[in-house]
Amino acid sequence: MTSAVTIPRHGGTGGTTAVAARARQVVKAYGSGETRVVALDHVDVDIARGQFTAIMGPSGSGKSTLMHCLAGLDTVTSGQIYLDDTEITGLKDKKLTRLRRDRIGFIFQAFNLLPTLNALENITLPMDIAGRRPDKAWLDRVVETVGLAERLKHRPTQLSGGQQQRVAVARALAARPEIIFGDEPTGNLDSRAGAEVLGFLRRSVDELGQTIVMVTHDPVAASYADRVLYLADGRIVDEMHQPTAEQVLDRMKDFDARGRTS
Amino acid sequence: MTVLKTSMRNFLAHKGRMALSAVAVLLSVAFVCGTLVFTDTMGTTFDKLFAATSSDVTVSPKSAKSDEMPRNGVPESLPASVMEQVREADGVKSVEGAVSSMSVTVVDDKNKNMGSTTGAPTIAGNWTRNDLRSMDISSGRAPRGPTEMMVDADTAEKHGLKLGDELRTIAVTGDFKARIVGVTTFKVTNPGAAIVYFDTSTAQRELLGQSDRFTHITVAAENGFSDERVKENVARSLSGAYKIQTQQETTDENREGVGEFMNVMKYAMLGFAGIAFLVGIFLIINTFSMLVAQRTREIGLMRAIGSSRKQVNRSVLVEALLLGVIGSVLGVGAGVGLAVGLMKLMGLMGMELSTDDLTVAWTTPALGLLLGVVVTVLAAYLPARRAGKVSPMAALRDAGTPADAKAGWIRAVTGLVLTGAGGFTLYLAGTADKATAGSLWLGLGVVLSLIGFVVIGPVLASGMVRVLGAILLRAFGPVGRMAERNALRNPRRTGATGAALMIGLALVACLSVVGSSMVTSATDELDKSVGADFIVSGNAGAPLKPATVEAVRDDASNLVHISRVREVPADVTAPDGTKQEGQLLATDPTYVQDLRRETLSGALADAYGDDAMSVGEEFAEKTGVEVGDTLTVAFDGGRTARLRVAAVTSDDTALDQGAMYTGIETVERYLPADRMPMESSVLATAKDGQEKAAYASLKAAVAADPTVRVMDQTDYKEDLRDQIGQLLNMVYGLLALAIVVAILGVVNTLALSVVERTREIGLMRAIGLSRRQLRRMIRLESVVIAVFGALLGLGLGLGWGATAHRLLALEGMKVLDIPWPTLVWVFIGSGLVGLIAALVPAFRAGRMNVLNAIATD
Repeated sequence: MTSAVTIPRHGGTGGTTAVAARARQVVKAYGSGETRVVALDHVDVDIARGQFTAIMGPSGSGKSTLMHCLAGLDTVTSGQIYLDDTEITGLKDKKLTRLRRDRIGFIFQAFNLLPTLNALENITLPMDIAGRRPDKAWLDRVVETVGLAERLKHRPTQLSGGQQQRVAVARALAARPEIIFGDEPTGNLDSRAGAEVLGFLRRSVDELGQTIVMVTHDPVAASYADRVLYLADGRIVDEMHQPTAEQVLDRMKDFDARGRTS
Repeated sequence: MTVLKTSMRNFLAHKGRMALSAVAVLLSVAFVCGTLVFTDTMGTTFDKLFAATSSDVTVSPKSAKSDEMPRNGVPESLPASVMEQVREADGVKSVEGAVSSMSVTVVDDKNKNMGSTTGAPTIAGNWTRNDLRSMDISSGRAPRGPTEMMVDADTAEKHGLKLGDELRTIAVTGDFKARIVGVTTFKVTNPGAAIVYFDTSTAQRELLGQSDRFTHITVAAENGFSDERVKENVARSLSGAYKIQTQQETTDENREGVGEFMNVMKYAMLGFAGIAFLVGIFLIINTFSMLVAQRTREIGLMRAIGSSRKQVNRSVLVEALLLGVIGSVLGVGAGVGLAVGLMKLMGLMGMELSTDDLTVAWTTPALGLLLGVVVTVLAAYLPARRAGKVSPMAALRDAGTPADAKAGWIRAVTGLVLTGAGGFTLYLAGTADKATAGSLWLGLGVVLSLIGFVVIGPVLASGMVRVLGAILLRAFGPVGRMAERNALRNPRRTGATGAALMIGLALVACLSVVGSSMVTSATDELDKSVGADFIVSGNAGAPLKPATVEAVRDDASNLVHISRVREVPADVTAPDGTKQEGQLLATDPTYVQDLRRETLSGALADAYGDDAMSVGEEFAEKTGVEVGDTLTVAFDGGRTARLRVAAVTSDDTALDQGAMYTGIETVERYLPADRMPMESSVLATAKDGQEKAAYASLKAAVAADPTVRVMDQTDYKEDLRDQIGQLLNMVYGLLALAIVVAILGVVNTLALSVVERTREIGLMRAIGLSRRQLRRMIRLESVVIAVFGALLGLGLGLGWGATAHRLLALEGMKVLDIPWPTLVWVFIGSGLVGLIAALVPAFRAGRMNVLNAIATD
């Protein structure tokens, strides 16, 4: 059994939990009997509040599945997942949807924006759906942080790929969710645009205190994180704090080599 | 071969998306085939009936018409002596004199009409051997003597009649009672006529009013003699004084009378099927456009690896061909089912048709298939061409091609020009001073404006959806806004979907305006110009029997006066030689008070003087006739009179427009009594304050004949409203087909849009759009499209209706009455239609798995 429970349940940041999300003994299996495939195998993980966590691993390691389960997009076969103090495993669709709407932000690899809405409308969409009025000052700050003030009236088709992802970041930040999940948010961008987006994510953690979990296979992207979790065959096999790109790359090569010899 | 294989695969892969288009083809084809099978079956039924009832050769008076009774209610007849002359002709085996009359009413002891309620006649006659061709006596025996009769089995069954029951026959010459001694059963299908038989002398006395005469003579040919030869021989011995027809000719003549009615029905129904086809075209175009759009990358790939434009183009057309064939084949089958259903429905309404006679001519499925396939392939042609134009680069691009701005301009200009031309033509129609020219302009204007609206629809969609969004969707917040944006996303699609609904609703709106204007104008006219309190009239325009008029006249205690109205057939020739074949309205002079007519010159009362008459405005204008001129009037069956024009009536009316009035006394001078038409109606005016009593006693007076109705003004207006209402309901029912196809179109558009937007839906669900909100968003989009279509349709329909009303105004129906409640209901109804159309697509969108949706390519 592997574990990545490193942060105490009650941490040092005053009265609130230092853990934004927890997974306990989470199993995700597809099929049954002979064809049973285990994507997550009794995973325990704590996501620290106010930190930038990267999840890495080779294709098929279960990293995306883990993120989807943590974010309430996918159901688990067994085990529990908590967002702050709320157990989300077993919640009905209605409550899960509201939870995603009010407490979670998303950045996908591509196709993050509704083509019919302009940049600003896309950014405020989760709040619009909830019927909440966006906090004007906060919105301005977010927009400024991601550098989109000039492009708010543009439709997604009028924006470059990097700009589109920045709008997605802004949308994730604007609603002030407890936690933002990114599914390879820079996977479709060239290195410069990718660096820009990652820079914004980093700043939102440092300056805005945002909690972010990001799935990636890019060591450079992972190097922006505070902590990197390595998944292989549905288990957490290692983790690294304050990584650099070289360290991550080395570790990855390690896994690859081990994978090939075993 | 590969083309066919890809087409097949694509077709099967998208069979769900194809299903609704197939249903549209199916419905339209089914309607066409159903109509053809139904009318052919009716034709077969009548053919068999007429063939069975006609003798080898029939001799009848020259002026006799098979489907029409003379207006005096007594059938044309010939002397019995003719029989002897016929018998002498070579090849004649046997000769019988027959009596047959359709101006009778048969009632039971409770005074209930034994006749058909569907307009089929009640036929009374003498029982002859010739009748054994088509009937058997199934129980009892043939009638003998004045108090015995036979009835047909269908009538007996319908009314529970049995041997020994007594029926009263109301004939022109009076009433008489007879006991049922036999029941006859048809060997072929009798579609609904009630038939009673008497012995020959009774029939002659009661139906013709004289003995030794027959309405026709039936001739049986000897073996070895053809009908034609016998006809020639008989003709020679009668030397041309009578009408002589072979069995074939009699059948054909009878058939012609029925055929006219059947053709009207057939072409009306085919017209509605055509409208459904038109709507179906929109659905098919939309389906294929969307399939092609969704497949852009795939097509791009095909092009990149070497498929030619032609191949891509053809593969789409082959898919359309498959769709057309499947939809049409099913449609032909459904059409036969529809025909059987219609026959059952007619059976419930009293028109018996047997499935034994079910006639499916080879042309019916052929036509159905041809129409279905050709229409489908033609409709798919534009999308197929667009598919051929997809560049290989599309394989590399993200799905979705940007809208073609130039095409938008061309479309807007073309649409505007067409709509403008349509509007101008409608204006010409509205200002035309001749109804015939006006109708031509109207027809052209309707077609032009319809095409114009269809073309310009997508352009209008952007603007109108925004306005509708502002009014209807604001209340729904961001969900409403997204629904609006989605509806705006592809204006061509929204426009085409809305246009499909527009067609049906435009016709509904137009007809409701016309119908309600007609009712209101007539009511208005009644209030303004009718002084009579009551009208006594027969069933479905049948003339009144003398006994009825006698009864009304005897019941004068509460009445100021009664006015008899007779329609007298006559040819009127003006001094300039213009001849008008038609009729004179011969009435009592009091008619002038019953119906107040404006005159342009002269006084209408003078038209009732000796040898005087009045003419209508149009006739006077056409011929230059003025008051004081003399017209030559040739009375049908009487002498020719020279009548002085005493008044010219204005055409500015809806009642009796263009009628030529004269006094009954004048007509009597030129027309022998046995040629005098029966009253078509009698108007009665009550003494002041005695209206109620007069109404009751009039009703009692005519109670003996259940086919006679007494109506006061309120009844009359209601009757008018009911009649027009029924007609409109029938038309709405037929238009429902087109509207159903249009609704399928909305469902299809939404379903395909949902598929197209799978990723978006996944994204929105991921960031917190609830199922309910998602479903509402789709429903709102659907409502907006439907309401957009309804607005276009109602607008167009109002335009058509108002123009049509201008033409009606020429016929004297001056009041334009727009039935707002109906229109508001149509509008609300279309909103509901939108909601219903969205049910399934919204449900399916709600059920999508979020992760799969996001991952969809």
